[in-house]
Amino acid sequence: MKLPAPPTEKSFPSPLHHPRVATVLGRWLGIAVLICFLTGLFSHLQQTTPGWLAIPSRPASLYRVTQRLHVLSGTIAVPLLLAKLWTVYPKLFAKVPWPPSRKALGNFLERLSILVLVSALALELFTGFLNTLQWYPWPFPFKQTHYALAWIIIGVLLAHLAVKLPLITAHWRRTPADSLPPATTGMTRRTLFRTVAGAAALVGITSVGQSAPALGPIAVLAPRKPNVGPQGLPVNRTAKDAEVTEVGDDWRFTVAGPRSLSFTLDQLRELPQNESELPIACVEGWSQGAHWEGIRIRDLLRLCGAPDRSRVRVVSMEKGGFYATSELPSAFAADPLTLLALRLNGADLALDHGFPARIIAPNRPGVLQTKWVHRLEVLT
Amino acid sequence: MNKFLLARGALGAAGAGVGLWGLWLLLDAVPAPALIRLPLWLGGAVLADDFFLVPLTLGAGWLLTRWSAHRTVGTARTTLLYVGLTTLIAIPLLLRQGKRANPTVLPRDYLRDWLLLEATIIAAGAVWFVVQRFTLRRSRASSGDIGGR
Repeated sequence: MKLPAPPTEKSFPSPLHHPRVATVLGRWLGIAVLICFLTGLFSHLQQTTPGWLAIPSRPASLYRVTQRLHVLSGTIAVPLLLAKLWTVYPKLFAKVPWPPSRKALGNFLERLSILVLVSALALELFTGFLNTLQWYPWPFPFKQTHYALAWIIIGVLLAHLAVKLPLITAHWRRTPADSLPPATTGMTRRTLFRTVAGAAALVGITSVGQSAPALGPIAVLAPRKPNVGPQGLPVNRTAKDAEVTEVGDDWRFTVAGPRSLSFTLDQLRELPQNESELPIACVEGWSQGAHWEGIRIRDLLRLCGAPDRSRVRVVSMEKGGFYATSELPSAFAADPLTLLALRLNGADLALDHGFPARIIAPNRPGVLQTKWVHRLEVLT
Repeated sequence: MNKFLLARGALGAAGAGVGLWGLWLLLDAVPAPALIRLPLWLGGAVLADDFFLVPLTLGAGWLLTRWSAHRTVGTARTTLLYVGLTTLIAIPLLLRQGKRANPTVLPRDYLRDWLLLEATIIAAGAVWFVVQRFTLRRSRASSGDIGGR
C-alpha cells in the first residue's frame, strides 16, 4: 500500500494564502497583541510597583478600562491568530533548504523563531482565557509564566517583523487584487477580511459584558455576570477560601503609626463616614461599579499623627494567599476616594466582601482591594 | 537601502534583547519542575493549532466548496466558521460549569446560552442568505445576466 504524499506548499491552491492577506491580518493581530501587552504590563506594575514608579490614583476607573481591554484584546486575538495561522499555513510545508548553507541556517533560525512565537502566543491566550475562569490545569505558576511569556512573545514578534519587513512593506497598501473574486473559492480577500473582523467582533461582543454592564445580558461567553454575587457584586476569594469564619465582639481594628489607635467596630462606625462610587475591577477582566461607605484612609492617617504623604501597609485577617497584606502607595492613601469601607450598596459588608472592613481605592486591581482588614501600618 | 537594513537590524536586536529578558524572567521565576514541563504545553499549543484547528478549518472549507452550490458557499462558510469559533471559546466554560471556584464564577447556564448563541448565528446566516439571494436575483435580472455564475 502506498501512503499519500505529504502536502507541499503547492498543495494549497487558495489565493488567500497570500502575503497581502498575511500582512493585513498580521497588522490586526499585532495591534491586539500590543494592546494586550501594554495593558498587561500596567496590571503587572500595579501589583509589583517598583520603587521608582509612582502610579497615580486617578482616573478612578483607569484600571477598569485597561483590564477590560486586556481581556478583550486577548479574546479577540484568538480568531485573529487562527486566521493568521490559516493564511500562512502552506509555509509549514515549504521545502527545507538542503544541503546546509548560510541560507539554510537563516531559514532554520526563522522557523525556530516562528515556532517559539506561535507556541508562546497560543499558550498565552489559552492560559489567559482559562485564568478568567479561575481554572489552572497546568503544572506551572500562572502569573509568572504568563508574564514571562508576554516578554518572549514581544521579543520574538519584533524579530519576526525584522525578518518580514520587506514582505510587509511590499504588501502594506491595498491593491485592486483585494476585491478580485478568485475562481476557485469565490471569496475575495476583502470578504475574508470582513469575515475575520466579524469573528473578532462576535467574540468581543459576546464576552465584554462582564465588565461593560450594558452588554451584560448578551455576554454568553463571559465567565462572570457583573451583578451576580452577594450585594450585587461578584467575589473572587470567598471568606471560606480565606478561612475567615466569624468576627466576634472582641474584634479590634488597629492603626500602627506615630500614635497607635485601636477601635471596636462601633467606634469605627462613629468616625466621620464618607462615600465613594468605585468599581471593583478584577485582573480576570470582570468589573462592577458599587457604592461604598466608610472612613477615609487620609482621615485615619491624620488621627494617628502620620504625615499626609504616607505609605500604608494593609493587613488582612485572611490566611495564606499572596494578598493577605497589600501596600497603599502614598498617592492612593491620600486620595479622598480611598476608604476603609464598612458598607457596600447600602448595607454592612457581606462576609464574602470583607466584613467588617475592607479597602476600596480608585484605579486599583481587585486583588489589592484587601478584604477583612484589621490593621493598618504606616510605613513612612 | 542601507537605512532599511539598519532598521531591520535594530528591530531584530531589540527583539532579541526583549526576548532574552522574557527568557530570564521565565528561568528566574518559574521553578525547575514546572520549567521542564512547560515545553510540553508549548508543544501542545502548536499541535492543537497546526495539526488540529487549522487543518479542520481547511478541511471544512474544502468540503464546503466541493459539495455545495456555488453561491451558498460564502454564507455557509462564514456561518460554520462563527459556529466553530464560538464553540471553541465556549468549551472551557461548558467544561467548568459546576466545578467553579465559587458561585459568582460561571454563574450562567452556559449550555443553554451556547445553544442559543449557535442558533442565533445560524438564523442570522439563513437570513443573510435569503437577503443575498433576493438582491442577487434582482440585480441579475436587471442586468440581463441570466446565465452568469
